[in-house]
Amino acid sequence: MAKLVLSKGGSVLHQCFLDKDRIGVGRDAHNHVVVDDAAVSGEHAEIIPIGNDHILQDLGSANGTFVNGDRVDRHILQHGDVIELGSFYLRYLNPRVSGAIDLERTMLIDGLYGADGGAGNGVDHAATETRVPSARPGRVRFPKARIKVLAGKRAGTVVELDRVVATLGRRGDRLAVLTRRPHGYFITHVEGRRYPRVNGQSVGKETRILQSGDIIEVADEKLQFLMD
Amino acid sequence: MAQKFIEMVGMTDVGSVRQFNEDSIAIDPESGTMVLADGMGGHRAGEVASRMATDIIFNEIKSRMVEFGNAAGQHSPSLSVDQSIKRANTAVHQAAQANAAYEGMGTTIAVAVFYDNAVALGHIGDSRIYRLRGRTLQLLTRDDSLLRDQVELGIIAAADASDSHNRSLVTRALGIGDDVSPHLHEEPVLPNDIFLLCSDGLNDLVDDDDIELIVQSLKSNLPLAAHHLVQAAKDNGGYDNVSVIIGRVLKPFPARGQKGWAARVFGWLK
Repeated sequence: MAKLVLSKGGSVLHQCFLDKDRIGVGRDAHNHVVVDDAAVSGEHAEIIPIGNDHILQDLGSANGTFVNGDRVDRHILQHGDVIELGSFYLRYLNPRVSGAIDLERTMLIDGLYGADGGAGNGVDHAATETRVPSARPGRVRFPKARIKVLAGKRAGTVVELDRVVATLGRRGDRLAVLTRRPHGYFITHVEGRRYPRVNGQSVGKETRILQSGDIIEVADEKLQFLMD
Repeated sequence: MAQKFIEMVGMTDVGSVRQFNEDSIAIDPESGTMVLADGMGGHRAGEVASRMATDIIFNEIKSRMVEFGNAAGQHSPSLSVDQSIKRANTAVHQAAQANAAYEGMGTTIAVAVFYDNAVALGHIGDSRIYRLRGRTLQLLTRDDSLLRDQVELGIIAAADASDSHNRSLVTRALGIGDDVSPHLHEEPVLPNDIFLLCSDGLNDLVDDDDIELIVQSLKSNLPLAAHHLVQAAKDNGGYDNVSVIIGRVLKPFPARGQKGWAARVFGWLK
């Protein structure tokens, strides 16, 4: 179970398991976590559990709530977060979700709209403005690379390869794709009867890894691949 | 159907971390049917649930489409989607109650059936259906997930949703109860529209912008597009099984006969 550890000057003062619907944090004695510091407001912040998350909310405190050095109003607590309260530190520990991304299997839970899922049953006009972004992409690092146009009207132009894919050539005729992956860049034929060439050699139907300095020919374009 | 009106590819992958693949997919371009499911439940029961649901829905819709192809009269693919999902729900729920090893198993589902210049969509859970029209990818389904509820109700900001651990919590699933209400939706279809069905192993790890770029860039080579989507999810961690089905509409596909289903629903198009 997740817990909060209150400390000051390196010594632990109090531990509190997050097993309630709401955990109050502040100077007043009725809080679950009492922080006896003049810089802390009577009712300073609260922590609300939702699903697997614990959400920290500042309650309009006089001096603000800081997590890992940054002032926050509302914050989804992450394993190891340190909430600073005057001269006290409140550390959030939740080993269950300490992985870079939650590996929990899919589980069923009651929605916040109640049993009918909010949208009602039956025909459902699905289009929604609510966008839930993908998970924070772990610590994946992609090498930086670019292509330099060697011939033609655009000769000398340099294009950074800053997306997952970039297409080269002409659609419907001769098209190739450059793919950015953690371990390098790859070229693959997409469509058309003629395959792209790397250093004068046809890549055929295979995917080929690129080395910095490689010369790529697709359709009428001649390009050089350059990687940091 | 004399000539293929839609090109379809499907790909499912265990991902980079998990031991088993609990996703299931089925496609049939002839009848215009695509089905994708992401199972849940311990001891590989999720595999059983997603496979059962996929097979039941796929086979029922396929046979109904053939039937309707041969008979004049009115046909509602939406009704077929609804009824086949409910039938699958009953079967999965009964299997879960009959066998202790399957207790509590369930599955998400995403279904698309193309008929008469339109598509009937059905879904439950957090598997998604997108459409690429022109250069724009649009999400056509709303996830039954705690995270989406939280964002929609303003409990957390959309930008902070990436920090949430509630990604795997769905609020509705097939096979959990006696009855289930799928989300049903009908859309007119244009030639060159591309439909993408995916499990959350894709959209949890690859941003919509990147999904859009990959599908848009590689739409002339659907197997390569599917491969790139799965590969991108795995390159970003591959924490979950990842499945995709892509369908590209090649030409109009009006129903034979006068007053088809879409003609009634989308009469203003004619």
